[in-house]
Amino acid sequence: MIRDLSWIDPVYLVFALRWTIGLTVLALLGGAPLGLLVAAIGNTKRPAMRWLAQGYVGIVQGVPLLAWLFLFFFGFPIMGVEVPAWLAASIALSVYASGFLGEIWRGAIKSIPRTQWEASGSIGMSYAEQLRHVIIPQAVRIATPPTVGFVVQLIKNTSLASVIGFVELTREGQMTAAATLAQLPVYLMVGTLYFILCYPITVYSRTLERRLRGVR
Amino acid sequence: MAFVELRSITKKFGDHVVLRDIDLAVEKGEVIAIIGRSGSGKSTLLRCVNGLEGVDAGDVVVDGVRVNDAKADLRALRARIGFVFQGYNLFPHLTVERNITLGPLIVKHVGREEASRLARDALRRVGLADKAHAYADQLSGGQQQRVAIARSLAMSPMLMLFDEITSALDPELVGEVLRVLEAMARDGMTMLLVTHEMNFARRVASRVLFMHDGRIWEQGPATDIFGAPRTDELQNFLGAVLN
Repeated sequence: MIRDLSWIDPVYLVFALRWTIGLTVLALLGGAPLGLLVAAIGNTKRPAMRWLAQGYVGIVQGVPLLAWLFLFFFGFPIMGVEVPAWLAASIALSVYASGFLGEIWRGAIKSIPRTQWEASGSIGMSYAEQLRHVIIPQAVRIATPPTVGFVVQLIKNTSLASVIGFVELTREGQMTAAATLAQLPVYLMVGTLYFILCYPITVYSRTLERRLRGVR
Repeated sequence: MAFVELRSITKKFGDHVVLRDIDLAVEKGEVIAIIGRSGSGKSTLLRCVNGLEGVDAGDVVVDGVRVNDAKADLRALRARIGFVFQGYNLFPHLTVERNITLGPLIVKHVGREEASRLARDALRRVGLADKAHAYADQLSGGQQQRVAIARSLAMSPMLMLFDEITSALDPELVGEVLRVLEAMARDGMTMLLVTHEMNFARRVASRVLFMHDGRIWEQGPATDIFGAPRTDELQNFLGAVLN
């Protein structure tokens, strides 16, 4: 049954945003620690470890996010584990985020001069202590703008979770459009909502970039 | 066994041999100045002592610990060996005080108050008690280098290694750094220093090594090295740097 677009539809769309945001947060909660691990392993002196990190990043970045979503959504049931769409989407997005964040952070760590490693190593600090107290605090400065930029990508890419039936902003829009046949207005609203969410972050990222260009 | 022993060490960078079969024994309390042209292997020699560079052959032994042994506790050893770099290498994101307390806090696990006390002591010794809350980029080169020395001193090192620590400084700032070194030498610190400051080497060093082509070409008391060089290479070198 086709109904008219009503005032309540934008409200539903706005409410659906919380699942978009929730999914982004879950992806970061999973992806950030994993990405940090990838960055740490990717900067060790051992070539085998570096290859491991590079291989992981290569695979994650080389496979489309959509494929990761299908892999976890349809892959787990094959192994006898039923996973809800939100969980499959969270895992897929976490893997995706870890590959990109890991590479951004690996590069930022790599850009810290070798002499900082030598100075901290010469007072007897371990690799983990060097990272934590000397290298990462300096790398954060370099990594923050591209990290924030990636978060914007991540927010927009959560829309792909709609294809495995997870109801976030895009899926809500699809359902509204199907019920009202008012595709254009609905998708314009969906697009506007993504923009309202992402644009401030983009602006913030630029501000950060300017502010962090100085020392310290 | 001597305090620091290098036993026929050889070091290569690719095909390039930087150190050739070097033997050296340093006793506690010695102040060794290492001089020579750039590229003669001086800095590499120093960096082999605390394991910043590995060796391709031979042994490096410091206080009974074989530095080039994969099983050696290099971190524990480094905590007791101070290393000061030509480029200061302070941690730019931390205040002077935090630069100095980091080692005691993280590596030696002393309490926060004890670490602060160590930092204040070390800063007083290098004459920068008033700079505890400054950042590296607010200091002159000479001040940064003195903070770097204080950072090592706060670890109560048994041995100090100095790698051309005045070479990057403006001439008028060299004196303040050398005075700190001289005071440390007087206090009996065992020191190895790679330097281009010949007058300083002559005055403070208990022994001078002249390196040439990856070898310790000539060594002896400063009076002999500067007063009566035996080899042409040392004569040429001294002729070039003293005039």
